[in-house]
Amino acid sequence: MEVTRELVLPAPPAEVWEALTDPERLQEWFANEVEWDGDELVYRWGDGEERRARIEESDEPRRLGFRWSDPDGDETRVTFELEETDEGTRLTVTEGRDAGWTSALELRAFAFAAV
Amino acid sequence: MTGDRVDAVFGALADENRRYLVEALAARETATATELASELPVTRQAVAKHLMALGEAGLVESARVGRETRYRLTPGALGDALGWIERVGGQWDARLAALRRHLTG
Repeated sequence: MEVTRELVLPAPPAEVWEALTDPERLQEWFANEVEWDGDELVYRWGDGEERRARIEESDEPRRLGFRWSDPDGDETRVTFELEETDEGTRLTVTEGRDAGWTSALELRAFAFAAV
Repeated sequence: MTGDRVDAVFGALADENRRYLVEALAARETATATELASELPVTRQAVAKHLMALGEAGLVESARVGRETRYRLTPGALGDALGWIERVGGQWDARLAALRRHLTG
């Protein structure tokens, strides 16, 4: 089961990639505190939530994939895809979880935010 | 930027017969594999296999009533899945809006 969002950002892929991976930049928009702990990124939010992400694929500046768990402990996989366009970068993010469903059964919701 | 307008398009189940079974069960309380097979261009065995797959996915459950096995949609299963999709989708909407502000601010 997975969720996908897509939008075009007015910045080149290299910059979007940095915003997605540099802890100092991540602290400006994604979480209150971001730091590396070995091969895991640790995100902390003001409400006390903490998540650890294990990077699984890193194809700069095209594709980034990591695994993390939500506060309930459900593990999901997040993938970012970056595609250069005339206006900047098309960023597609997909978060998916194995709900124990058979592979032949796919329930997907695709939502595209109006820009 | 105006508020996000989200057009949610639900890609259904990979197999159109399973889609039909989920909808058929949603429309009635219970059904047997035979009743459902009479509505589809597949055999009763095929329907039973689809129902088993739906069962393994947590969407459908069955109970023996006399000599029959009756199937129904598992209450809440589809709703839970849709709820997850909405919640996680909403989280990403907020994060991406923040990313956009970060990159353009």
